[in-house]
Amino acid sequence: MNTPSEAIHAPAPEAAPRNEHTRGRRLGSWREHHGWSAAASLRRLASRPLGTLLTVAVMGLALALPLAFYLLLGNVQKLGNALGQSQAISVFMQPGQTAQQAQMLAQQLGGRPEVAAVVVKTPQQGMDELAKMQGFSGAVQTLDDNPLPYVLQLQPRAEATAGALEQLVADVRTMRSVELVQDSGSWRQRLDALLGVGNRVVLVLASLLALAALLVVGNTVRVDIASRSEEIGVLLLVGASSAFVRRPYLYAGIWYGLFSGILAALLAVLIEFALAGPVAQLSQAYDGKLHVGGLPLWLLLAVPLAAAALGWLGARLVSAWQLRKLG
Amino acid sequence: MIHFDQVSKRYEGGHEALSQLSFEVPTGEMAFVTGHSGAGKSTLLKLLGLIERPSHGTISMDGKSLAKIRRSGIPKWRRQLGMVFQDHRLLMERTVFANVELPLVIGGIAKPERARRVRAALEKVGLLAYERQLPATLSTGEQQRVGIARAIVARPTLLIADEPTGNLDPQLAVEIMGLFGEFQQIGTTVLIASHDLPLIKRMKKRVIVLDHGRLVADLAAQEVL
Repeated sequence: MNTPSEAIHAPAPEAAPRNEHTRGRRLGSWREHHGWSAAASLRRLASRPLGTLLTVAVMGLALALPLAFYLLLGNVQKLGNALGQSQAISVFMQPGQTAQQAQMLAQQLGGRPEVAAVVVKTPQQGMDELAKMQGFSGAVQTLDDNPLPYVLQLQPRAEATAGALEQLVADVRTMRSVELVQDSGSWRQRLDALLGVGNRVVLVLASLLALAALLVVGNTVRVDIASRSEEIGVLLLVGASSAFVRRPYLYAGIWYGLFSGILAALLAVLIEFALAGPVAQLSQAYDGKLHVGGLPLWLLLAVPLAAAALGWLGARLVSAWQLRKLG
Repeated sequence: MIHFDQVSKRYEGGHEALSQLSFEVPTGEMAFVTGHSGAGKSTLLKLLGLIERPSHGTISMDGKSLAKIRRSGIPKWRRQLGMVFQDHRLLMERTVFANVELPLVIGGIAKPERARRVRAALEKVGLLAYERQLPATLSTGEQQRVGIARAIVARPTLLIADEPTGNLDPQLAVEIMGLFGEFQQIGTTVLIASHDLPLIKRMKKRVIVLDHGRLVADLAAQEVL
């Protein structure tokens, strides 16, 4: 053992210990500890791969579930839009209306923003179509006059809302030259209502599963802190603040969240690929009008970040509570 | 100057560890606190480290009452202290260097300065060659010296030690006590709880004797025989 007292005194050029650091030095040290905490927490996670994998897998699956539902709903919405394109509103005019009157009404309705196109069917076209239908050809031939009126087929725009189309139908029904309006788009209302319910279910599910992910991180950090209570005790005794002690655990929460968010995004992309085949077949049945919709890139990037924030929050809440008990 | 004024400590359950304790330790003095097991030695040090708070009375240092230090201010207070424990309280997964460096990392000292001070502290306790080893590879005495290096590395104004030589052989115990004596010589106030009377007599420093939490004797260095 060395005895000279200058060994301790020698490296003390500064007069007062508490005034010796500049703000810049402290900031540098603070940054350094953040770097150390981030790396140390990552090493801890890597040192127990099975436990880390299980935690990340549970959280990843929990976060992937609402994403899958969101994907499904988005595609149902697209399917609804694709089907909406083939659903016209038929406007039967009063008997005796002339071709000129039919063209004028067609022009008037074609000018509305929710209408994509208007096709005018003459009474003769209607009769021809009827004659082509099995079982009607004989009956048509027995008629002396053509009793069919002019029919306007309105093609709604794909982006037209159910409310706008409902208003269109109501407006057309009040027109004097119109006998009957056949609205085949009422199913859209039901679909929209169902999608509304679905969106709410996804929101509730996402909230519950986010809470579950938060609890998973919280519990993992709680166990981690409990297993390191001795070390934490030493740190507190030598003057570490709660923030200093907590930092590696917060980074652990961030890593858990980030990795599980990446896993959830990857799973969502896999689900997208799995849906691509069947949706392509469905699309063919609708003249190629249906296209599978994937999750937007911003969402795939936002999920890991949001999950990291969730992990941080879980770790923050639990570590504050645990350290209060230990400190 | 450490000042205890009518300090009592009663733990939950009713056990009174300290009773109306009053004494002063001037800055730069080295004093032993002794007594039988359960006399209140460790409690006294815990009160100084704000590990426990007194039930009655006031403790002050350089005129500042410790009672005014809130929970959030405890880490800052502890950074002014050096604490040595009988069981070393080392982090076994970290190297000797990292253990000694800990108070400086917490104190926000820059890396080059930290390295300089850690090596100086390790040289002081004779363990510079062991800086890269894990504490588990060292003997009990060496581990204790690592604990001492950690306690002194941040240049504390007050060094408190709870049975620092409890597990050491007599020769090593004398060497450790010699180290504490050196810290006193450079202006550090040193307070050591020990029940090793032969060692205390040999050091010829002030001795505060406790019995069942009460101060029964306060002997100046020249009174210690």
